[in-house]
Amino acid sequence: MVEAKYLSMKYEKGGRYALENLNFHIDRGEFVFFVGSSGAGKSTLLKLIIREIKPTDGVLKIFGRNVSRLPRHRLPYLRRNIGMVFQDFRLMEERSAFDNVAFAMVVTGASRREIRKRVPHVLSLVGLQNKAKARVCDLSGGELQRVGLARAIANRPAMIIADEPTGNLDPGTTLDIMNLLRSINLRGTTVLVATHNREIVDRFKKRVLYLENGKLVGDEQKGIYAHVH
Amino acid sequence: MLMFISGFFYIIGETVKGLYRNRWMCITSTGVVVVTLFMLGIFMLVNINLGHITDTVKEQVEIVVYIDDDAEQESLDELRQKLLSHSDIDTVTYVSSEEHMARLHRQLGGMLEGYDTELENPLLASYEIKTVVPESVVALAGEFETYPAVANVFYGHGYVESLFAVTGVAQMVGLALMAGLSITAVFLISHTIKLTVMMRKREISIMKYVGATNWFIRWPFVLEGLLMGFAGAVLSLVGLYYLYQYSVEWVAANNLAFLNLLPVQAVLIELATYLVPLGTALGVLGSVFSMGRFLRV
Repeated sequence: MVEAKYLSMKYEKGGRYALENLNFHIDRGEFVFFVGSSGAGKSTLLKLIIREIKPTDGVLKIFGRNVSRLPRHRLPYLRRNIGMVFQDFRLMEERSAFDNVAFAMVVTGASRREIRKRVPHVLSLVGLQNKAKARVCDLSGGELQRVGLARAIANRPAMIIADEPTGNLDPGTTLDIMNLLRSINLRGTTVLVATHNREIVDRFKKRVLYLENGKLVGDEQKGIYAHVH
Repeated sequence: MLMFISGFFYIIGETVKGLYRNRWMCITSTGVVVVTLFMLGIFMLVNINLGHITDTVKEQVEIVVYIDDDAEQESLDELRQKLLSHSDIDTVTYVSSEEHMARLHRQLGGMLEGYDTELENPLLASYEIKTVVPESVVALAGEFETYPAVANVFYGHGYVESLFAVTGVAQMVGLALMAGLSITAVFLISHTIKLTVMMRKREISIMKYVGATNWFIRWPFVLEGLLMGFAGAVLSLVGLYYLYQYSVEWVAANNLAFLNLLPVQAVLIELATYLVPLGTALGVLGSVFSMGRFLRV
């Protein structure tokens, strides 16, 4: 599903590597944490996966396709297969929870009937069945991230990418969100989470890829955060 | 087909919602379009009417070719033939010496009483010539002066050359000002719309992340730009209508007949054919170009 071979990324020519010579393989249905301190390269790696940026060297294959060679007009179709969850939620604030989730479906050309059926369903999956009409700016942090998750799974993507999804949440809500991600993973969706939250990594005991100064310094099944150092 | 219909309704809905959600920014952008096109419209009104007034003055320019009393029939025929067949000449009117005298009587009223104007008529017969293009009078006058049957040629020497020079400069200045103002309008409007788009860059980046195609994102913005540009142009035309109507009435009330202004309806139609497409196109292009940067996510 995700395959990196000698993957490197430099933001500036002559500058330091944000990522250097990464080699790894992630299979369909896996749950993987990318851990490391700030500046380790976690966000860069996620940006490469959704082809927000292109690698400087090496190959990155997503769903078997080399993303560097993907023409710009095909990018939307790649992203429809990847649900994104962000630390700052990135929701359209003036709109309702329903509209935010529906929007992800509208762009794929889903019919209104389909949207009216699917959106309440995904909102109930994240526990927001009663908040469909609430405007995003009136929701709590935990509820906002649930809307973000509902949006990410609306199109039944093959993969969910979460960049510090609990960075702005209290411990109780963090656990709720992580449990939701786990239940999404149990339904067969690949989940990649970039985080430096020690507790959740240790608690969930999933595969962990350790990044340090742009290098992959460890790859452990059922890893724990302490192994970073 | 379902995809298309769903997308179509979405785009229309988003356009309306977008205009409502960003109403203050949209009102500002439309306001900038109104003010800029209104200013441009004033210049156009001045220029169109200046052109009309100079055309009217130019239409009155004519050549009078006076015929020599002693000219031989052959030379007279040659002159007449040339006048009738010349491609630069629009109309030729023969005025006999008697007709000239009658005109003189009419102009001077009773001042010629006591003169036997039928026996002693010193006035020469003439041809009064209207040219196809007013600017060709000088060259034509020079040409006919050389004919043996011609005693004298009159075309307002000196006055005509000055008239053409002044009107030429006035029109050039008018066109330059209009071009300058059009460019200013393009910059002002596109930059204001750019500001509207910039305020929504977060929204655009979210659309990109969930897999919206560039055109799917663009369409609502393009329609918003189109509506703002169109509304701005129409509102500026309403303002120009009242301003011009007032000007025409003021000129009539103050007996300034030499300011021969064009009728309101005709001018407004001419302005509309220029300002409405310009405003609409600026709205659309302003939206499309200012989005480019934010779509590269």
